[in-house]
Amino acid sequence: MNAAAGAGLELRQLCREVGGRRLLDRLDLAVTPGECLALLGPSGCGKSTTLRLVAGLDAASAGRVLLDGQDLGALSPGERQVAMVFQSYALYPHLSVEGNLELGLKVRGVAAAERQRRLGAVLELLQLEELRQRRPAQLSGGQRQRVALARALLRQPRIMLLDEPMSNLDAQLREELRPELRRLLCGREQPVIYVTHDQQEAVGMADRIALLDAGRLQQVGSPRELYADPANRFVACFLGRPAINLLTIAPGRQLGLRPEHLHLAEEGPVEARLLRREWWGHQQLLWLDSRWGPLRVLCAAEAPLPAEPRLGWQRQHELWFDPLSGARLHGQGPVW
Amino acid sequence: MKARTASLLLMAPALLLLAAVFLYPLLRYGWLSFQASSVLTGLEPVPNGGANWGRLLDDARFWTDAFQTLRFAVCSVALELVGGLGLALLLHRPLRGRGTLRALTLLPWALPTTVMALGWRWILNDPHGPLNAAIRSLGGSSYGFLSTPATTWFFVVLADVWKTLPFVALLLLAGLQTIPEDLEEALRLEGAGRLQILRRLTLPLLVPYLALALLFRLAQALGVFDLIQVLSGGGPAGSTESLALYAYLNAMRFLDFGYAATVMLATFLLLLVLLGGGWWLWRRGDLQGRREGAA
Repeated sequence: MNAAAGAGLELRQLCREVGGRRLLDRLDLAVTPGECLALLGPSGCGKSTTLRLVAGLDAASAGRVLLDGQDLGALSPGERQVAMVFQSYALYPHLSVEGNLELGLKVRGVAAAERQRRLGAVLELLQLEELRQRRPAQLSGGQRQRVALARALLRQPRIMLLDEPMSNLDAQLREELRPELRRLLCGREQPVIYVTHDQQEAVGMADRIALLDAGRLQQVGSPRELYADPANRFVACFLGRPAINLLTIAPGRQLGLRPEHLHLAEEGPVEARLLRREWWGHQQLLWLDSRWGPLRVLCAAEAPLPAEPRLGWQRQHELWFDPLSGARLHGQGPVW
Repeated sequence: MKARTASLLLMAPALLLLAAVFLYPLLRYGWLSFQASSVLTGLEPVPNGGANWGRLLDDARFWTDAFQTLRFAVCSVALELVGGLGLALLLHRPLRGRGTLRALTLLPWALPTTVMALGWRWILNDPHGPLNAAIRSLGGSSYGFLSTPATTWFFVVLADVWKTLPFVALLLLAGLQTIPEDLEEALRLEGAGRLQILRRLTLPLLVPYLALALLFRLAQALGVFDLIQVLSGGGPAGSTESLALYAYLNAMRFLDFGYAATVMLATFLLLLVLLGGGWWLWRRGDLQGRREGAA
C-alpha cells in the first residue's frame, strides 16, 4: 500500500478549538489511496471533529488538510469532492430512494442520461433496485444504511468519510454487514476514513487504526500492532475485550496483562482465589482475587480449574507502564 | 361497543360546549335568515320566505365587500408567508443575541389590534400625524392617506402584515427547527448552494408548516373586523369594507337582524369553501410530514 509521496490524504498539525476548548490537538495523519483508516476512540475524543474538518463542514483553527498534495483549506465542502455517510444517514425524507441518490447529481448538473446510468449501476451494486420508489421512512435501518452508502458511492468522491455508519443498527446486522461494507469500500482508489467507537468494527474494517483520546492521537498502526504493542496504557486498555488487567506490583512500574494471556496452573508466581465465573460458550471469564487485586482471566470453557490455582503467563506478553503518565516502559520487568 | 359508549360519554362535555357556542348560533342564524326582523317589524321576527337571500344575491355592496375581503386576505396572507419565511430563515441562523431578537420580533403580534390600529391611524393622520410631519419637513405637503382608497387599502394591508408576520415567522421557525442539521450538511457536501438547499430541501420539508400558517392566517384575514373598523372604518366610501364589517353594520347600525344573519351565514359558507380547500392541502402535507417524521 505504498503510494507516491503526497498521494492520498494528509492531515498536518490539525487543530480545532471552540470557545477555548481544544477538540482536536495537532493531529498528524496520512491515509493512502485505497486505504481504509479507522478513527477509533471514546465519545468526545475528536474523531467526528476530524471527519468534519476533512469534509469542510467545520473550519480548522490551525493546520492543513492535503489531498494529493493539494491544500483543501480554501475549498467549500461542495468543492472538496468528499462523500460522507452520516451516523443518522441524513436521507432526505421527502424524496424516494431514487430521489435521494439523484439529488446530488442534479445539483451538480449531471445530464439525465448519465444520471440514470450511474443510478442503475449503484442500485445494482447495493441491491436496491426493488426499493427505488420507497421513501426513507418505509425502509429498515439496514436498508437506509445501504441507501446512504449508495449515495456516497454514486458521487465518485476523492475521499470517502463514514461517521459511525453502523451505530444505529442492531449488533447482529452490524456483524452481517461488515464484510459487505469492507468489500464496497476498500480497494477503491480513494482514501477511506471510518469513524467508530466500536473496536470490533475498527479491527474488522480497517487496514490501520488511529486511536484518539481527548483530542490527541494516541497511536496509529495496524490492528495487530495496536493490540500487541500499545504505545501507552490508554491504547492497551481501549483495545481488547475483556479489558487488560492493570497491576501495580512495584513502585514506578505498572504491569498490564491481558486476560487471554493469563492461565491458571498448579505452579506459578502468584496465587489466586476464584470469585466468579462467567460462561461465554466456548470460553469462560474468571474473576479472581490475588494479592495484586482483582484479576480477570479468559480461558477455554473446559479448562480444568486447579484446587489452589496460581497465575501463570509468558514474559513476552508483559506490558509495562509508568503508573503516573501511563507511558509505555520498554525493557524487562523484575525477574520472578 | 362498551368502549365506544365510554368514549362518547367522555367527549360529551366538549361536544356539548361546541354545540352551544357553534351549532346553536349557526342554527339560529339559519332560522333568522328566513325572517324579517328589523325596525320595520318592531324587531319582531316575521317569516319572509327567502326574501333575505334574494336580496343578498342582488346586493352589490355584499359582493363588492366579498371581493374586497378576499383581495385583502390574499394579499396580506401572501405577503405574510413570504416575509415570515424570510424572517424565520434569518432568525434560524446562528446570530449573536438571537434570543432577544426573536422576542423583539414578536412584539407587534403581542400588541392588541385596536391599540395597534389606533397607532397607525395616528401615524397617517392628516395633517398632524408623524408621516405627514415628515413629508412637510422634507418640503412636501400633507396627504390624506386615509381619504384616498388606494393608500387606505395599502396601509390596511401593511398594518395587518406588520402585526401578523411575526406569528407566521414563529410558526415557520418552529418548522425549520424540526429539520435535522445533517440533512443540510449532506446537501452542502453534494455541492449545493444556499438557494438550492432552500429549494430542494428546506421548502419541501416546510410544506406542512406553510400550509398550517396559510390556513390559520386565511381564516383570520377573511374574518377581519377590528383592524378595519378602527383604522379606516371601512372607508373611504366603503373601499376597505369587509364582510364582517358589513354584517356588523347591518345588525348594529341598520338594526336589520334578519339580513345581518343572512350576510353572516353567507360569509361563513364562503369561508368554509376556502378553508376546506386549505385544509385539504394541509392534510396532504401533513401525511407527507408524518411519513417523514417516522424516518
